[in-house]
Amino acid sequence: MTDDDIILKAENLYFSYDDEKTHSLRGLSLEIRRGRRIAFMGANGSGKSTFFLCCNGVNRPSSGTVYFEGEPVDYSRKGLLKLRRNVGIVFQDPDNQLFSASVFQEISFGILNLGVSEEDAAREVEDVIRRLEITPFRDKPTHALSGGQKKQVAIADILVMHPKIIILDEPGAALDPKHTAIVNHIIEQLSEEGITVLLSTHDVNYALEWADEVVLLKDGKLLAHGAPGEVFSDQEALALTNLEQPAVLQLFNSLCAKQILDRSLPLPRNLAQLEQYIADIHS
Amino acid sequence: MLTIDKFSYLSKLRYINAAEKFSFAVITLILCVVSRSVCAAAITLFAAGFLTVYKGKIPLFRYLRYLAVPVVFLLFSTLAVFVNISRTPLDLFAVPVGSFYLTGSRAAAAEGIRLILTALAGVSCLYFLAFNTPMPDILNVLLKLHCPKLLIELMLLIYRFIFLLLDIASALSCAQASRLGNKDFRTSCRSFGSLLAVLLVLAMKRSNALYDAMESRCYDGTIRVLNETYPPRAGEIAAIIGFELLLAAAWLLEVYML
Repeated sequence: MTDDDIILKAENLYFSYDDEKTHSLRGLSLEIRRGRRIAFMGANGSGKSTFFLCCNGVNRPSSGTVYFEGEPVDYSRKGLLKLRRNVGIVFQDPDNQLFSASVFQEISFGILNLGVSEEDAAREVEDVIRRLEITPFRDKPTHALSGGQKKQVAIADILVMHPKIIILDEPGAALDPKHTAIVNHIIEQLSEEGITVLLSTHDVNYALEWADEVVLLKDGKLLAHGAPGEVFSDQEALALTNLEQPAVLQLFNSLCAKQILDRSLPLPRNLAQLEQYIADIHS
Repeated sequence: MLTIDKFSYLSKLRYINAAEKFSFAVITLILCVVSRSVCAAAITLFAAGFLTVYKGKIPLFRYLRYLAVPVVFLLFSTLAVFVNISRTPLDLFAVPVGSFYLTGSRAAAAEGIRLILTALAGVSCLYFLAFNTPMPDILNVLLKLHCPKLLIELMLLIYRFIFLLLDIASALSCAQASRLGNKDFRTSCRSFGSLLAVLLVLAMKRSNALYDAMESRCYDGTIRVLNETYPPRAGEIAAIIGFELLLAAAWLLEVYML
């Protein structure tokens, strides 16, 4: 692996919202590789959102450095513009992100800020409206949209800017199963396009199935970082972050302990895979 | 107000060019107010109502109820024009009260009716605009008229926040009600006070969060957005000009006839 593969790097980040006494980030170091899907997990207040805001320069760490594509972040206007066009954040509560009552206006905001001409911007906005299936409600005012529809618009807001990294802060929060599925499908498309996706979630089963890497945070520090199977097998780290081991792994481990399944099998990522293992016993 | 907002998105006239609707409403309004013509006012009242209810498909009952709001207010304020207190009775009616008369003249009555009609016609013009044009479209027209950008950005954010804050306020008041927060007048007052306080704090928090979100989309102090516009149609523009000419003609006719 060359250094080029590292798109974003945090080095010993400290960040405090109010004073020097209480830090939301306390020496966080992390490397993020291009094109990966990374799930951030940890209790509320463990520093996930704070770290995300550091990634695109909205929060400036009190000490430590953020590197984007190998270069330390430049906090001048120009430097921030460059960083933010590449690192987009979809905020947890769309109501904190959508500032306009018109869906079309809302989505066009980010791309116009990049200095794109109005014709090109209009084309991009139309394109993203079609891709994210916003067309059925594009003419509604944002205050009349459902939570899931607002989320779709919030993702479109960012996607239209063609960032290299998209960060989603708890994308599944407060969504019904149908809209969770829609949002997950969109996230799937993002990674297929080669965009590096960072998302925070409390859903261990989703993280196990979706992520290439899982990052566990606790009290503003990195607790564990690795492949999902590896991190979710670390009982000690899980206990520290009050996370349950994914049900699939629990069942797999107990089946292994009872010598029904072979421990040399690769860890299952989802129920279907585990089901297949069990089905294979008889054949 | 929220009903009007809802209707403005559902109106069948929503996708008519907003500048056309805006100029129709404003020019007609100005003509009515300047001419004070009863004829022009009556025509306007009918035309605006027809467009909103028949073309825009806004329910007639709702429309009339909204139009009734200013009627009550107008009746009270024109009472002074209709009724005089005088020692000598006037020509329309006179009710003796002791050594005085509650009395009114024909001229004053005509003036009162003229006032009410003109005001109602003006209101119906604005209702036409409000019932058939969503707020972002109106802002877009104001922008084209070179209204200060800062003002328009503020209106855009305020418009969005009205709904956010109303949602929060109704959630809060629901939570208060479910804990007997309005069991009597005193508690209601206190609850309302704390609701306002919390609302202020939440509004500040929200605006900070919104600012962060806008910053992360490269916000630099000016809100630049694209607007969807619907092309003006020659036929519609001709109809508007025709209508305004008709109003002007009605006005002139009235001036010469009387």
